Amino acid sequence: MSPELESDTVADPNYDDEFDAIVVGAGLAGSAAALTMANRGLDVLLIERGSSPGAKNVFGGVLYTPTIRELTDFDDAPVERYVAERRFSMLSKDDETAVSLRPGEWHEKPHNDSYTVLRGDFDEWFAEQAAEEGATLLNSTTVTGLIREDGRIAGVETDRPDGTIRAPYVVLAEGGNSLVSEGANLKQTETRENVAVGVKEVLEFPQRDEVIEDRFRLTDEAGVSYHYFGEGAVGDAFGGGFIYTNEDTVSIGVAYRIEDAAAHDQSPEETLNAFKSHPAVAPLVRNARTVEYSAKTIPEGGAESIPDLVHDGAAIVGDAAGLVLNNGVHLEGTNMAVESGYHAGNAIARAADKGRVGADALQAYPESLEESFVVKNLEHYQWMMNAVEEDRDLLFEDLPRAFADAGTEYFRMDRQPKESHAKNAKSAVLSAVGGWTGAAKLALRYRKVVT
Amino acid sequence: MSWTIVVGVKQVPDADEVGIDPDTGRLDRASAPAVMNGPDREALEAAFRIRDQVGGEVIAMSMGPPNAKTVLKEAVAMGCDDAVLISDRAFGGSDTWPTSLTLARAAEALEADVVICGEETTDSSTGQVPPGIAAHNGWAQLTYAEAVDARPEEDRLAARRDVEGGHELVAADLPVVVAAAYGEFDPRPAPLHRKIYGENDFEPTVWDAEDLEIKDEVGLEVSPTSVGGMETVDPVERKGEVVDEIDDLADSIEEVVA
Ligand SMILES: Cc1cc2nc3c(=O)[nH]c(=O)nc-3n(C[C@H](O)[C@H](O)[C@H](O)COP(=O)(O)OP(=O)(O)OC[C@H]3O[C@@H](n4cnc5c(N)ncnc54)[C@H](O)[C@@H]3O)c2cc1C
Ligand SMILES: Cc1cc2nc3c(=O)[nH]c(=O)nc-3n(C[C@H](O)[C@H](O)[C@H](O)COP(=O)(O)OP(=O)(O)OC[C@H]3O[C@@H](n4cnc5c(N)ncnc54)[C@H](O)[C@@H]3O)c2cc1C
Repeated sequence: MSPELESDTVADPNYDDEFDAIVVGAGLAGSAAALTMANRGLDVLLIERGSSPGAKNVFGGVLYTPTIRELTDFDDAPVERYVAERRFSMLSKDDETAVSLRPGEWHEKPHNDSYTVLRGDFDEWFAEQAAEEGATLLNSTTVTGLIREDGRIAGVETDRPDGTIRAPYVVLAEGGNSLVSEGANLKQTETRENVAVGVKEVLEFPQRDEVIEDRFRLTDEAGVSYHYFGEGAVGDAFGGGFIYTNEDTVSIGVAYRIEDAAAHDQSPEETLNAFKSHPAVAPLVRNARTVEYSAKTIPEGGAESIPDLVHDGAAIVGDAAGLVLNNGVHLEGTNMAVESGYHAGNAIARAADKGRVGADALQAYPESLEESFVVKNLEHYQWMMNAVEEDRDLLFEDLPRAFADAGTEYFRMDRQPKESHAKNAKSAVLSAVGGWTGAAKLALRYRKVVT
Repeated sequence: MSWTIVVGVKQVPDADEVGIDPDTGRLDRASAPAVMNGPDREALEAAFRIRDQVGGEVIAMSMGPPNAKTVLKEAVAMGCDDAVLISDRAFGGSDTWPTSLTLARAAEALEADVVICGEETTDSSTGQVPPGIAAHNGWAQLTYAEAVDARPEEDRLAARRDVEGGHELVAADLPVVVAAAYGEFDPRPAPLHRKIYGENDFEPTVWDAEDLEIKDEVGLEVSPTSVGGMETVDPVERKGEVVDEIDDLADSIEEVVA
């Protein structure tokens, strides 16, 4: 007697309108949206072009977790270290002037909701959380366009044979290089002034253990996030550099305006190399070996560049919607990606309950985003991008040099009285900012950075 | 005319993730995730080409532990019509002899016209399984096939094989076992809806040793292979030299040869 196949196979599978929603891109925003909708009982298809979520993701490294922690059990999340120190550093060509913060509170859970992560690991885990709630993850598949029916978005087109699939809602979570949203005229291509390029390397230290703990003064799970600006970080371009510690590696990178990158004859890679060889930075990365190099664009148009967030049958979230805050003191996109995915997911779940697909039925998403920290922060700092652009030479070149000179003067060891050192130090700074009146104007202009 | 084409797919440790223990020099397979043996993707492609020609069904079979279901789901995602897992504790310790016997019995039970295998696996890489299947069933075999051509009117399958100085075209009567030459059958991308179905909704049939009536013919006891020992080999130091002028190259070579 011969065994038989249990023949309940489907010869011609067809999933048109089998899913309630399709999410394009399993980054932070996409997985947050998928997880939220799956939690509310929707059938979700999450499409990712990488061989796994995060496989194609470039990210410098600090993940801000206030929203993620609400969405899922964060205890087993693959984080590298919590951020125990933040350091802001002005670099002139040869000098460094820095401020460092190490509040005791950051050592305690939830560690100010700031962790370094490697996105290859983290994104895979986060998408897995959505899959555990019932979302269907489809890797190695690139969405190439949207399908429309009677003017409304009714599904997506992919690079696979037999590659279109219909669903009532589509969430666009494709990141900063948002070809699908732009191709479908859901948003305009960002102007060059509003796009930064980020290049990053992950470094390891093969020669001995504990290099990271020793160089960055760390114990256990503690880590650092160092931010650099000024001409020593990215030359005369508008932007900055960063160093983040992972468990066994260090992420180092620069992020600056694409406009500047194209206008000057230095490639992003060369800029990063110059930053790595700055006398204040080089000792931190001595004897390191590069294990990964990557580059990506960062939208930084702020509140003014947020496109229409909802359309008939679709919503745009995360970097695809330009939700990144990058102003020199803050570089935050991860928290906004998750927050926007969460609100979009909720709005769709509510509309689906009522069986409605029009943009008006999804209005709850832009409305709750307006009320959240996302739009509030972006609006709050909008003026700053413009102001900084105007004061660029002063802020990135003259001031870092003046502060370094002032420091050198103030602590000078010679046979002059200290009073004269202090005077010289003061005049170094004052001449850079244009005297007391200049200083007062600057203070007024930038007071909102910290208020 | 329509043929039943059965493809052997094996789950192997992901070669990209297999580490080498620096102390012992042994491969650390346990920690690597399991994936489909690369050459088996090409065996599937060869099978789809035959199905395109004559119609019929492509059925994937794998002998392995319960979690080998994943590679069968992937095979269905890539385009197979059905899949069967042959799994039993009794198979533990089987070498290529009982492995090919098991697969031979499964191919018989599936009433295969053609069995297609990869050239070899990336973990044990003996290349013995396809000829073993043919031998156990007394079927014809076409190894190192670089191209396949179905001839349904003659009940034969022809294959192009690489031989020194050219290639030969060999036709064999059905049923026949084919080993697809690695690198010759570029796998086609999986269709979207198939991929969703295979990975998520398809469940393979499972057979055990009893279903195939081979309970006493498998396992460690009946495996003729015995492992004499394992040695790790130290890498040989190689001398490298850079020459600036091409002419000096000849001198350096002469020095070594002399
Ligand atoms: C160098 C650098 C450093 C940064 N540092 C920080 C930091 O320290 N802290 C912080 O909070 N933020 C930082 N950011 C910003 C942060 O990375 C982003 O804001 C965040 O990743 C946005 O998430 P997202 O899900 O919207 O997009 P992404 O993370 O870009 O995810 C998009 C996903 O969609 C997939 N995808 C794209 N197109 C398609 C398609 N057509 N079909 C299918 N899938 C597709 C991609 O493969 C990817 O997985 C940094 C960014 C860069 C570049
Ligand atoms: C010396 C030695 C000792 C071994 N001892 C053990 C042991 O103790 N326990 C143990 O579990 N294993 C053992 N193995 C492994 C086992 O014998 C082989 O993995 C198995 O027989 C397949 O051989 P292969 O991987 O070399 O296949 P190959 O002959 O290289 O494979 C060629 C093709 O045959 C097909 N194929 C091969 N195996 C399968 C399969 N399982 N299912 C479906 N299709 C398949 C595939 O299409 C593959 O591409 C041993 C192997 C060797 C060399």
